[in-house]
Amino acid sequence: MKKFISLLIIFNLSSLLTSCTTDSKEIDNQVYTLIIGCDKAVDNKIRLTVQYPTYKGGSTGGSQKSGGGGDSDKESGVVDNTIVQTVEASSILEALDLMNTSTTRKISLVQAKAIVFSEEMAREGIKNYLQPIARFRETRRIMQLIICRGSAQDFIKENRTAIGDSVAKAMELASLQSDSTGYFPRTPFQEFYNAVISPYRQPFAVYAGINDYTHLKPLDPDSPSPLRPQIEILPGDIPRQGDRKFEMIGTAVFNGDKMVGTLSSYETRYLMMVTSSFKRGIMTIEDKNSKQDAIPLDIRLGRKTKIKTHFENSTPVIDIKINIEADIGAIQSRVKYEKLSNISDLNNQIETNIKKGVEETIKKAQTEWNTDIFSFGKKIARNFFTTTEFEKYNWLEHFTDAKINVEVDANVRRTGIMMDSSPIKYSEMKK
Amino acid sequence: MMKEGKFGTMEAVALTTIVLITKAFYTSIRVLVKATSTSAWFATLISCSVSILLFLLVYLLMKRFPNKELVEIFEIVTGKFIGKILALIFSAYFVYYAGSSLREFVEMIKAYVLPYTPPSAIIFVFLAVVVFFAYVGLEGIARMSYISLIIVIIGLTLILILPLPFYNVDNLFPLAGYSLQTTLFSGLLRASAYSDVIFLAFIINAIHGVKQFKKVGLTSLALSGAIISVTILCSILAFEYTQASENLSALFQLSRNIYFNRFFQRVESIFIFIWVVASIMNVALAFYMSASIFCKTFKIPNHRPSLLPFAFCTFTVTLLPQSLSEVVERNVLFLRQYSAVITYLIPLLVLLLSLIRGKKGEKIKI
Repeated sequence: MKKFISLLIIFNLSSLLTSCTTDSKEIDNQVYTLIIGCDKAVDNKIRLTVQYPTYKGGSTGGSQKSGGGGDSDKESGVVDNTIVQTVEASSILEALDLMNTSTTRKISLVQAKAIVFSEEMAREGIKNYLQPIARFRETRRIMQLIICRGSAQDFIKENRTAIGDSVAKAMELASLQSDSTGYFPRTPFQEFYNAVISPYRQPFAVYAGINDYTHLKPLDPDSPSPLRPQIEILPGDIPRQGDRKFEMIGTAVFNGDKMVGTLSSYETRYLMMVTSSFKRGIMTIEDKNSKQDAIPLDIRLGRKTKIKTHFENSTPVIDIKINIEADIGAIQSRVKYEKLSNISDLNNQIETNIKKGVEETIKKAQTEWNTDIFSFGKKIARNFFTTTEFEKYNWLEHFTDAKINVEVDANVRRTGIMMDSSPIKYSEMKK
Repeated sequence: MMKEGKFGTMEAVALTTIVLITKAFYTSIRVLVKATSTSAWFATLISCSVSILLFLLVYLLMKRFPNKELVEIFEIVTGKFIGKILALIFSAYFVYYAGSSLREFVEMIKAYVLPYTPPSAIIFVFLAVVVFFAYVGLEGIARMSYISLIIVIIGLTLILILPLPFYNVDNLFPLAGYSLQTTLFSGLLRASAYSDVIFLAFIINAIHGVKQFKKVGLTSLALSGAIISVTILCSILAFEYTQASENLSALFQLSRNIYFNRFFQRVESIFIFIWVVASIMNVALAFYMSASIFCKTFKIPNHRPSLLPFAFCTFTVTLLPQSLSEVVERNVLFLRQYSAVITYLIPLLVLLLSLIRGKKGEKIKI
């Protein structure tokens, strides 16, 4: 018995120390891709761009040395303390092998946080590039799927951070901004891929772009500064300056694997309210009792959105009930909405705004693209007994026929740390 | 007469349950969801119920011959020659079961964890552990199963609870799957997936007789049915039926998707641990059963000298399939869809024959 155990130990040890080394990898012998970008190639099928840290400066994807660097840095793709490498190839996986011909360490995708497709490519269809990501052992389906305006290569070149050292951390934190603004959805690859092959719904993804800071016009003392609440903004168009040029706002809408349109920042919020993924955000409405005055509200979903479906003379009818809770951020007009007698007026203003927004967003999806990005199909499926019947009915075709009823119930819960707005006093010059 | 030792009901239930539920870690979920779509979770309950019925019929046979193991019953009812052939069919079946299960495990581990390690290296290491378990004997395997099942249940519970944010109850609709007939048919066909419980009939004396045999069999079948059903349910809740029918291992995919925040993600190592533990117990038992049935057939008192030849046979079976597709579409399909022809049909034919010929065991004197 002792002999047998000794033999077993020797055998197992020798196996572990010899054969299994084929799969052993020194952590330091690899570079870990942070983001993968896919563009339409010129001389082949795909132009793949990856960004990975250089391990200089003692942090992952750090960016202590800001700025673009010299000409040699530009040629070698150095962006802060990361390298952005691009190659053209016939497939994603082969492109990685081609990249490995010039890198000293094997490029690994196990830590990839996001995959970016250029809008041009997305509009032509990305089915050929979903399979390798879904099938490949290294890639994880928790990575975010992003559609960018312009090329993915240029987009990734701007993936840097001015706050903190780690680009990897910056990327994860940036995607969490969805929860605090609701301006863009969180779309892990898993969700996107699931929706592409789903009979219940159609996919959507984060819409992103590069802001060249030209949308912030020079100061003009004569400008009337008009109030423009719920303005439709697309990525790259936010009137701002400073921090990184990379920005995510809005939603790229798909029909199958092809991008068919986009939702603006507020339309994205309405989409997220219907799908119950909206966490919170500041919504500005125009005070109907004092035009050109804004009421910013901190809004959130009070409870999960209720969706009920039924058929009326073979027309699908969808009843949506959205419950919104809000806190008052400011009342520029100083109208006393905090008072119990006035608060219902403010509730009505919020309800009207959101109801209109949700109805228009759904109408847009129905009439312009016929894509059910709201997952109504999952509720419609309850009206069928078998999957065969449901697949035969083909909900995705019938989405456009659906009659949608939206009901919004808004409740202003809190008024900030003020309970009243006293009138502002002015003094007049003595004549 | 082989001495296999004796162990209690809990160990026996743990041993049987771990053998039955291991298939949920492999490709079975995918196959069932592909065949039935949203109703896969109750299709497996139909399989389990059918298996319980067939097991109760086997129990009738065992009750007719108290204190006799299936190998002995075969010989009493059909004569020595045919009885030995029937027993050898079971021995061969368990070699095939052990080899195919091991190959399925190897293919999965190569797909997910060790893509470039030679399969023979994994098989050697795995078989070495399995042979060691078989060397220790049935009692050792059973007691180890008891500990393993606790670990497996804890790990499985974690894997099924942590992806909670991904679950959507709406994914279960339409409720009846492709059709009720398809669900029923698949459920009936895949009763084979629960037929491994038959091994209890070969070790009835180790589990303290026919009464315990019934208790252990029914308890483990019910427990396994519930665990596999919940696992399939979670897979559909997370992936919808379309993607659940694509995943090589639904559970592994589920564990890879767990993401709570920057600090709590990539926890699939839990899965790999319980996967390896459960697979070892599963293959070890099948391997032991093949050697044990062989020894009992030829009245060999010690099973240990036969372990190496049987390890060689298992190794050969493991290497027979050319690819993963062959493993899934031939070996595994046979084991989980048609194996009842051996595991249940033979004992039931023997029961019929014993009724016709009026053969019966001696009554136990209390």
